[in-house]
Amino acid sequence: MSVSERDSAAPVRPAGRRGKPRPVRLTGAWWAPAVGLSGLGLISAIELERTNAGREVFFNVQQPWIVYILLAALTGLLVYGFARHATLWTVGKPTPGLLREIPMRARNAIRLGLGQEKVRRDRYAGIMHLCIFSSIIVLTAVTAQVALEDDTPLSFLHGNYYLFFSFYGDLFGLIGMIGVGMALYRRYFDDFHRIRWDERLEDHIIIWGLGLILITGFGVEAARISVTELNGFILEDGTQLEAHPDWARWSFVSYAIAEPLGILDLTQDQVLAGHTWMWWIHVILAFGWLGLLVFTRLDHMIFAPVNAFLLRTDAPGRLSKIEDIEEQEVFGVGQIQDFTWKQLFELDACVRCGRCTEVCPADLSGQPLSPMHLIQDLKAHLASVGPEVQRRGHVGGDVREVAQLEMVGEVIKDETLWACRTCGACVQECPVMIEHVPTIVDMRRYLVMDEARVPATAQTALENMEMRGHPWRGTNRTRESWMEGLGEVPVFDGSQDYLYWVGCSGALVERNLPVTQSVFRLLRESGASFGVLGQEETCNGDPARRLGNEYLYQILAEQLVETFKAKNVQRVITNCPHCFNTFKNEYPQFDGRFEVLHHTEFLEGALTDGSLQPRHSLDSSVTYHDSCYLGRMNGVYDAPRQIIELLPGVDLTEMRRSRSKGLCCGAGGGNMWQEEVGERRVNHVRTEEAVGTGASEVVSNCPFCIQMFDDGVPAIQPEEEGRIRPFDIAELVERSVLGEDGASSNGAPTATT
Amino acid sequence: MHFVVCAKQIPDPETPPSAFRIDEANNEVIPAPGISPVLSQFDGMAAEAALRIIEAAGEGKITVISLGQESAQAAIKQVLAMGADEGILLEDDALQGGDSYTTARTLAAAIEKLGDVDAVFCGRQAADWDMGQVGLGLAELLGWPSAIIAKDVQIENGTMHVQRVLADGFETVALPLPAVVTISNEIGDPRYPKLQQIMRAARKTVNRWSAEDLGLDPSTVGDAGARLKLERLFIPELGGDVEIMEGESAEEQAQNLATTLREAKVL
Repeated sequence: MSVSERDSAAPVRPAGRRGKPRPVRLTGAWWAPAVGLSGLGLISAIELERTNAGREVFFNVQQPWIVYILLAALTGLLVYGFARHATLWTVGKPTPGLLREIPMRARNAIRLGLGQEKVRRDRYAGIMHLCIFSSIIVLTAVTAQVALEDDTPLSFLHGNYYLFFSFYGDLFGLIGMIGVGMALYRRYFDDFHRIRWDERLEDHIIIWGLGLILITGFGVEAARISVTELNGFILEDGTQLEAHPDWARWSFVSYAIAEPLGILDLTQDQVLAGHTWMWWIHVILAFGWLGLLVFTRLDHMIFAPVNAFLLRTDAPGRLSKIEDIEEQEVFGVGQIQDFTWKQLFELDACVRCGRCTEVCPADLSGQPLSPMHLIQDLKAHLASVGPEVQRRGHVGGDVREVAQLEMVGEVIKDETLWACRTCGACVQECPVMIEHVPTIVDMRRYLVMDEARVPATAQTALENMEMRGHPWRGTNRTRESWMEGLGEVPVFDGSQDYLYWVGCSGALVERNLPVTQSVFRLLRESGASFGVLGQEETCNGDPARRLGNEYLYQILAEQLVETFKAKNVQRVITNCPHCFNTFKNEYPQFDGRFEVLHHTEFLEGALTDGSLQPRHSLDSSVTYHDSCYLGRMNGVYDAPRQIIELLPGVDLTEMRRSRSKGLCCGAGGGNMWQEEVGERRVNHVRTEEAVGTGASEVVSNCPFCIQMFDDGVPAIQPEEEGRIRPFDIAELVERSVLGEDGASSNGAPTATT
Repeated sequence: MHFVVCAKQIPDPETPPSAFRIDEANNEVIPAPGISPVLSQFDGMAAEAALRIIEAAGEGKITVISLGQESAQAAIKQVLAMGADEGILLEDDALQGGDSYTTARTLAAAIEKLGDVDAVFCGRQAADWDMGQVGLGLAELLGWPSAIIAKDVQIENGTMHVQRVLADGFETVALPLPAVVTISNEIGDPRYPKLQQIMRAARKTVNRWSAEDLGLDPSTVGDAGARLKLERLFIPELGGDVEIMEGESAEEQAQNLATTLREAKVL
């Protein structure tokens, strides 16, 4: 059996090889019709008087009707194959809400599916796909037109249109060849590993098959052109086909092949025989290749746009709520049939491209999680137990006894699930819109709530949240410790504009206290009307939810929503991107709807509208680390960079992985409270990247990220001299607004390190 | 087999020092605001020890008993969620306050009322006052043998085998049932309950017994019956003072240091 980890002996890929990523700017597959239409106009203009161009459909082919038998066979095969897939999907639970927000779903299907927006995040693959994709679409249309011409009363393959038809058929054949060439190069010659992490025979067959189809297509056309349009030909019924080299030139690729054929001095019969052979090879290959559509990863041609349609329409940072949790028989997903059918459908959509694993912080650090292998292992498991589960489900048998292997624990190992940071990098990159994170968290839910199998340190954090309302066991701070020396701290009573939500880390973790104080002083300086909850703050449950304890999360969330409502909270400013995401995206599930700002957003607003004045030049070079829950999960990339821009004397150098490609600090998904297993620590990898920019400070906005950098820096830079220093962006802003000693001018001790 | 686990709810021992306050006038600890009381850790370990034996045997019943206030229900529910079968809260104004003796007396009365108990599992000490007397007192009052500070407990053929933690190792003792054993942290962390169990525990009713139910004379339990009197409760003042030894040379400094230490009667 396979496990969701790659061979542990595989070398960790060195970070930072390909330089800074540049955004890929292609306008999608749209230029294909654009080229076609403009070409049509051009040709119509030139060829106005030439109206008798045309060709004999199914020239030189005996029993062309066999094609239709093949077509029927193919259709049957496709229907059978898809029915087999669909049967497996029906094993899953209903997927609520799929028919809501149809317009957005349609847009997603077009933008992400047909437009291949995510495919283009890898530029090479984007161009390659565009070539192959447009070629297949256009050549299928070409073939369909031939069939229409032959079998219906419609007749349009003559005159100007025929010439144009010849032209774009060849053009897109050539484009397809370019795509295939790029694919072959990448598969066999490029020092490019990810597509080989799970390489199978079908991968070779698909690409060689497509190449041969295109080559034989050109061969057939070239042979036909050679005997008819170049030399003239008399059909069996006596029809005289005149030589028309001027028509032939429109099929510019085949013409370029046919023209030099003359040198070979082949007889007409030889060319005709070659034509027939190639024609049949072409047709059989084409049908065979399309048959792969249901049995290989070629199915992504259909599943990718469909999965784009099925993609969630709400915030990516939101995990699903288990409704009526107390009445569930199984908590989370323990067996394959506990997934929704959409989650099972996703498994089939996976193309093993490895993009998810390539960006996974766990895999990058040699830890036992590869999102691609996880999806593939689940897929294999579905294929092995799905049919029996389906059968027993029908006859009312015990479906929970089907699997020989425990899905959670054996097919997918516990440590694989725990290694996930829920950073969303895999989801962000997946070109077929698989959502790995909810799938992983669903299995964690089963581990925690159903099996009570939790790593000891995570268990401590969970118990602490339950008993003490925060995850920081052993803290010697209280929720009001940070207030010491700050003068009067306003308590939120419902009359202020903002609730300043400090959060557990901001109040209870030594390193994060100064950040809380900086934000407080800046809020006060800006003149904003705000208050804090002090001792009344409790954990909002985010770590519990990410660790899989949905039950605990719901209890904490419901309590806090009540508190917020009782206190008439309308707007919240949070210190922590995790609190931010939870309040903003997840509390609406508990009828808690508040306007939520992260302090980064607030500070950007205050600096822009002048309520905070960055007076002091900082004379510092910084690099900015995107926290996953502010960045990828909530799309706040510009506000922090805008702030850095506005601060005088601050020079920003981006890391190779930044913005939506940013690498997690390693603490997400409850990994703040877990021991890491694997070759390296994620925070060491990320710290290395930060150090690599040469900046003197690494700026972030998340208490976890800052702790992780604090921990990582001494490991990466053993010499104390010249170490990069991790700061929160609020600390940076405070230094510029209030000066290095600004804190003490307010009667409070300087708290920054 | 029927085991009793004694569970005490205590102020959170992880209360940050800055939040720890006492009322010196009344010799009382002031509960820290916003910090809920918790189950004494050793009692959770006692429950774990009892559960392991029941699981290995495949049968048996655990009753968890707590002497305390209404809030102690949470501690009982926590042990129920781990897998205990029944919970009894000994709650009565007459039972409040008191010392290790009255606690042992009250618990003993409850255990006698239950009747068919084979063994009692206590934490080695409650993590608030750290007296470590209730287990032994209970055994004395019940007239049962006892072993304290156990790192492992097994029961075979009506005999309890206990590995007791010693300063330089451990010893194994055998006790005839019924017996009392107190459990130390070496036994390992209490289990993380499954959600099904947590919800089952949440639905269970906790029985309440008063002094009267137990047939105890109110003057012999609680504050009234306490034999230990708390004289004074205070937070010791921690302080330090530094004196730099003057002197021309190292020898002179050393001489001055020795003189100073002698004057301070340290040497």
